[in-house]
Amino acid sequence: MKKNIGKTRIGFFSLSCCEGCELAVLELNRDFVNALGFVEILESRILREKNPEQELGIAFVEGSIVGKDDLEKIQKIRQRSKFLVAMGACATIAGIPGIRNSLPEKTKSALPLHAVKKPLAAVHRLSDFVKVDFELQGCAINEKEFLKILVQLHHGFFPRLEEVPVCKECKEKENPCLLLKGIACLGPVTYAGCDALCPGVKAQCIGCRGFTKDANFASLKSMFKEFGLKGNEIKNLFTYFNNNPFEKGGF
Amino acid sequence: MNIFQASNCPAWKFLNDFCVIVLGYFLKKKNLLPYLEFLQEENGLQAIVPVVNSNGATCFEELSKENSENLFLDSKAFFSAKKFFLPNREREFLFEKKAASFEIHETIKHRHKVLFGLRSCDLHALNALDKVFLDFYGYDSLYRNKRNTVLTIGLECLKPEKNCFCESFGTSKPDFFDLFFWEKKDGFFVEIGSPEWEKLYCKKFFEKTRENRNSQKENCSLKLETKNIAELLEKNFENPVWEKESEKCLSCSSCTQICPTCYCFAIEDFFIPGTEDSERYREWDSCQLQQFTRINAGIFRQSRKSRLRQFVMHKLSFFRQQHNVHLCVGCGRCIDACPAKISLVEIASQIQKNPIGAD
Ligand code: SF4
Ligand code: SF4
Ligand code: SF4
Ligand code: SF4
Ligand code: SF4
Repeated sequence: MKKNIGKTRIGFFSLSCCEGCELAVLELNRDFVNALGFVEILESRILREKNPEQELGIAFVEGSIVGKDDLEKIQKIRQRSKFLVAMGACATIAGIPGIRNSLPEKTKSALPLHAVKKPLAAVHRLSDFVKVDFELQGCAINEKEFLKILVQLHHGFFPRLEEVPVCKECKEKENPCLLLKGIACLGPVTYAGCDALCPGVKAQCIGCRGFTKDANFASLKSMFKEFGLKGNEIKNLFTYFNNNPFEKGGF
Repeated sequence: MNIFQASNCPAWKFLNDFCVIVLGYFLKKKNLLPYLEFLQEENGLQAIVPVVNSNGATCFEELSKENSENLFLDSKAFFSAKKFFLPNREREFLFEKKAASFEIHETIKHRHKVLFGLRSCDLHALNALDKVFLDFYGYDSLYRNKRNTVLTIGLECLKPEKNCFCESFGTSKPDFFDLFFWEKKDGFFVEIGSPEWEKLYCKKFFEKTRENRNSQKENCSLKLETKNIAELLEKNFENPVWEKESEKCLSCSSCTQICPTCYCFAIEDFFIPGTEDSERYREWDSCQLQQFTRINAGIFRQSRKSRLRQFVMHKLSFFRQQHNVHLCVGCGRCIDACPAKISLVEIASQIQKNPIGAD
């Protein structure tokens, strides 16, 4: 049965990032075109020429907060949006821009930050400054998860997002476990939702979907030590993506 | 009469248990693949076989031209055949919104399958699932529809792997099958286990024989004393072992995902984009995960200790009290799969050595 509720007004916004998550949304192809039947895209740098600032049902925001202008931008978006969805590793865990946080002080001060207007002392995820209603994890996001959030919110239901570790999906995909071969993998402490993409091609999980609330870092780190990894190698793996000042897996 | 009832029939069981010389056939090793292809092509069954998959893991897949060279018969497959009865994700039904009500549409269509290469433990695991989904709470239609369209061919293990401990539960002796293949020189002795076996008969490859089942299986090196284990564990709910072992646990849920008898699932509804209709899905869940016990008021098995304990207790104690069998068949898969090297056998033995409340 067709539904007659009005369209959901949405907008896409980019802070400091590569804008890859917004492109990932376009990979929905036919589903994306179908979605235009029940959503109205009011703002998007990629999809629209003019972007009037209006009230929004859902704001999808990608990118980290690197400078003062990012901060001002996100606060304004928050004010005029019913729901704010952080989209992608940069927005949920500080991700790649956040690598700055994890560098040694000497390298940090040598970084050419002149392109950033009034850079903050550290790179932050969105939820450090504004209320975030839902987080779409991943670098880049899983477009099916995006569609799920969109459809459920459109109907007035709260979506349930993955809160289980990558290992669960990895087992469902029947991949051989890398940890059993002595290869360091962050799957046990990382949110699922990517269908265990990396272990599926024999590459270790590097944590792009963020650490689970339930993560047992101590056990995993001691396992990595037994594999022969050195302290800085373990740190590099843990802070490949997880660079938010308040959640770096203990680094 | 359907397959699982047949194997539970008392007269049948009596014959099976007390006849040393069992009626059966002989199948030459070189005819195994042609036989499986025969079942697929002539009998119209979908043949599911143990293979090495494209990622290098051993699991069950439908026999095809591509994987027929990768049959894996050396030992049990790392991943069990559970997914053919309890898929990791499955649509239950669609509910269509009508003016003042909902209409429910189920689509149930399963091809008749034959599952080849189930080990003795796997067959017993299936029996445990039957207890949950067919006998205890009435039946579950999703499970029953799949179960009723599956025929089973068991395969003997000659050499148990390092974490196998099926003898401890008596599950090393096969039961609940349609055919069972006993390893012989250059072939298999084919034992008949149910009246349904005729659907698996093949005149071309089944030869008359004077062989019988005479198992050559070596004993498992891993052992668990299972006498009174259910009661002992219950008294040791607060044993310090739980805390100690759970410190290593990553709560990755590999143990329950891989276990052939773990049956827990979560249910979720999804709107179909652009309509008011929804679909209901069920998906594997695990007691090792916090979401498993989330209710509105919070998570009641918050600690890692309580979750690891639930796994071991359900396997060795709780289920036994409800269904009179253990929910563990000693396949050792959970031990194989645990990256933290946690073993329920080890936990149970530690408790046996140092029980609390012993006078
Ligand atoms: S390969 Fe990594 S993600 Fe997969 S089960 Fe092993 S630890 Fe978990
Ligand atoms: S396996 Fe890990 S690193 Fe790879 S996509 Fe998934 S969460 Fe990201
Ligand atoms: S497989 Fe091991 S580490 Fe993972 S949840 Fe089970 S007991 Fe814990
Ligand atoms: S609990 Fe472990 S040993 Fe027992 S049936 Fe499950 S996977 Fe096999
Ligand atoms: S051990 Fe856990 S996941 Fe397995 S059947 Fe029992 S409660 Fe369910």
